[in-house]
Amino acid sequence: MKLNVDTIRSDCNGFSSIANLAEDASKLWLADAELDFTECVFFEANMVAPLYVVIAKLRDELNDVTIHNVPAAIERILKRNEFLTVFNMEVLRDINQTTLPFKIFKPHAGEQFNDYLDTYMRGRGIPSMSVALTKRFRQSLFELFLNAAIHSESTSGIFVCGQFFPHKHRLDFTIADAGLGIRENVRRYTGQEKMSSCAAIEWALSEGNTTKTGNQPGGLGLKLIKDFIRMNQGKLQIVSRFGY
Amino acid sequence: MDKTITIKVADLIGSPLCISVEDGQKVFHKIEVLFKEGRNVMISFDRVSMLISLFLNVAIGQLYGSFSEDDIRAKLKVEGLSGDDMELLKRVVDNAKRYYANPKQYDAAWMDAENEDE
Repeated sequence: MKLNVDTIRSDCNGFSSIANLAEDASKLWLADAELDFTECVFFEANMVAPLYVVIAKLRDELNDVTIHNVPAAIERILKRNEFLTVFNMEVLRDINQTTLPFKIFKPHAGEQFNDYLDTYMRGRGIPSMSVALTKRFRQSLFELFLNAAIHSESTSGIFVCGQFFPHKHRLDFTIADAGLGIRENVRRYTGQEKMSSCAAIEWALSEGNTTKTGNQPGGLGLKLIKDFIRMNQGKLQIVSRFGY
Repeated sequence: MDKTITIKVADLIGSPLCISVEDGQKVFHKIEVLFKEGRNVMISFDRVSMLISLFLNVAIGQLYGSFSEDDIRAKLKVEGLSGDDMELLKRVVDNAKRYYANPKQYDAAWMDAENEDE
């Protein structure tokens, strides 16, 4: 079956396109799934992390996933960030060092995630970031990574990818998982079976709220990130099921 | 009995990364045992390069479920934290105090939230 990949940017439309793709892919089992990029005009590098969620689900269902008709410019981006190694294609050297390559981490691989940040953020950081800010930034990425690792129950791992835009002084970084979703987690915990995806995301972002069990306090991580991002005029996008 | 015992976190967990629940639990257990023996405890974060709220919730926040605030204030000291990390610890402690004062308060508040079907 052919699955069309549209233009994907780091915004609501980009995530919607990936959600549509996931919907189309959801019924496939033991099939040939052809990801077709013919209609893809642009693909923001960090968005390969959520795209891989679709691929991981397809492979979980023993589908044979292949990739087709990738425009040359997009192919270069996806080779530079190592995403196409997923399809056994070669890596292009990242001469400008603007890429935090696509990686799949096991949920308990916090130390490897630290090595990843050490390797790929060093020397490529946004120039105006002080040592203290860099530390806070890394702390925030850790909070997000471990949040996904602990709460998602993803068996396929945690998928990450980032892209620096030196002229814009911007880093886009995406962490994705193939887990059960925030809504399901919060519904189970609160017992509110009809809580919407957006309400569940709001719940998770409120200080002190956590679905972690075991009589331990929690629920600070996402709130800290929200504050940090607001303070530094960044942007945090959280997408889960129907919620954005 | 009044000698302060120092727990070197990086040595105890075998890593400069304070990022996991399991490691936080290890530190919590050590403090718990020492508190029950009536000891004063110094937690040293020397050589720790990464510290996140998840770890502190378990290692230190959790103490507020077993010991009184006065006890903790009298018996527990920390060293080796930067200003930012001290701020983080303060938020963890405030959050823990609220949690143990009324663990279900937040959940109850959300029970009345407007829901939508999807």
